[in-house]
Amino acid sequence: MILKSPLYKLQKELGARFTEFAGFEMPIQYTSVKDEHLTVRRTVGLFDVSHMSNVWIAGKDAEKLISLTTVEDASRIGDKMSQYTAILREDGTVIDDTIFMHLGNKYMIIPNAGMAETVAKWLNEKAEEYSICATAENVSKDYVILAIQGPKSRDTLQKLTDVDLKTVGFFGCQYIDIADINCIISHTGYTGELGFELQITPTSLAENVFRKILEAGKEFGIKTIGLGARDTLRMEKYFILAGNEFKGGRTPLEATMSWTINWDHDFIGKKALLKQKEKGDYERLTCLKCIDKGIPRHGFEIKKEEKKVGIVTSGTLSPCLNIGIAMGYVHHDFREKESILDIIIRDKPVKAKVIKPPFVPKDWAQHN
Amino acid sequence: MGDEVRKNLKYTDSHEWLKLTDDTAMVGITDHAQSELTDIVFVELPQIGKEIKKGEELCVVESVKSVSEIYSPISGKVANVNKKLEDAPETINESPYDEGWLVEIEVKDKSEFNSLLDAEAYKKMI
Repeated sequence: MILKSPLYKLQKELGARFTEFAGFEMPIQYTSVKDEHLTVRRTVGLFDVSHMSNVWIAGKDAEKLISLTTVEDASRIGDKMSQYTAILREDGTVIDDTIFMHLGNKYMIIPNAGMAETVAKWLNEKAEEYSICATAENVSKDYVILAIQGPKSRDTLQKLTDVDLKTVGFFGCQYIDIADINCIISHTGYTGELGFELQITPTSLAENVFRKILEAGKEFGIKTIGLGARDTLRMEKYFILAGNEFKGGRTPLEATMSWTINWDHDFIGKKALLKQKEKGDYERLTCLKCIDKGIPRHGFEIKKEEKKVGIVTSGTLSPCLNIGIAMGYVHHDFREKESILDIIIRDKPVKAKVIKPPFVPKDWAQHN
Repeated sequence: MGDEVRKNLKYTDSHEWLKLTDDTAMVGITDHAQSELTDIVFVELPQIGKEIKKGEELCVVESVKSVSEIYSPISGKVANVNKKLEDAPETINESPYDEGWLVEIEVKDKSEFNSLLDAEAYKKMI
């Protein structure tokens, strides 16, 4: 069954073209990917990301359950704060990456599209197995998720609330009235720009909020943004897309997410990660910026002098840099910074350089 | 915008257009095709001199998010390519029937021309 966002009709009215993504029919673009991408980098864009999931974790040991099942020690994350983390299998591979928000005595996690049931089931099983008093409940259908991203995102939302949004710090989260509707706001995003995300329930209230945000952002040239630009925006910042970068079973060490791991606590998958870390000979996700013309895509081979040394998991033309960029797993011996590798595009080698992420720096729009 | 069909051209059901002048056919993609693709950001052109059969892959046109093969509407030899597209692929979006042409083909068998769609038929299809 193909699911639709509660805002589907509105999006159609706004001229969206749709695509299927993880079982959802979502807008891929409204005007063009490039135009929408640059709008977010330069001013502000509004995304419906309701394909993402919502799971409540409640019970007296909710914090314990998160600490056990993610690479984060949840006791470090205070009330009204959120954290990006990963849920692992015993063998260290990633089930899903997610943000969890600490909201009073409950936590909300935002698993990827189509992952809610898998994640909730896993958490409930582990709660039982480890005698932890907490439950996970999939409430994805009850929420619309909006993302407001770009340098003018705060100015746009500020017009719709009495709360000083400067008090909502990076990765802060709280209940807030936006356009007279109570929702959860978090200072988070997937674009690398200043931005916020809103969790709105019941979903029937979301259309009003969506329209009010568009109105408030009008003076800044706000645009609605589809999944096409969402993907290119995240790639320029070297942000992982679970369906691409974790496919086939990858650990957070391979995905170069070791910065998210809190080694001082026990969690499922830790043993396997320690073993892998000690061995050290694993492939790692790598940033490749093309030197030659050509656009790398998912699944293309990466070679060094005819020898296969890796594979592209995500690739695109960077709308900001106007050159091909790729994320891919590369054998650890061949990914030293400045190394030149070949990405094989339709049987032809296209030269690319290993660079330090991200592809596009934070203040790009100020200089371009 | 996005559905201009020119009377003097022939078309394929895969959205290529073709214009025959003497023995040379100029090939491009239609206004409808460019507007469906949006933002053309890369074009891979064939080698001049390459022999090509009708229906074979002639070139590749990429938008930010998609890769599209362009099929040759006719058999023959690649006589010329629009080099300008290598640096300015967006020309196809801006001028699909004029500046944004892709390839010129030296036509072998003009009878293949008869199986192509005329403007009326193509218009009905889109």
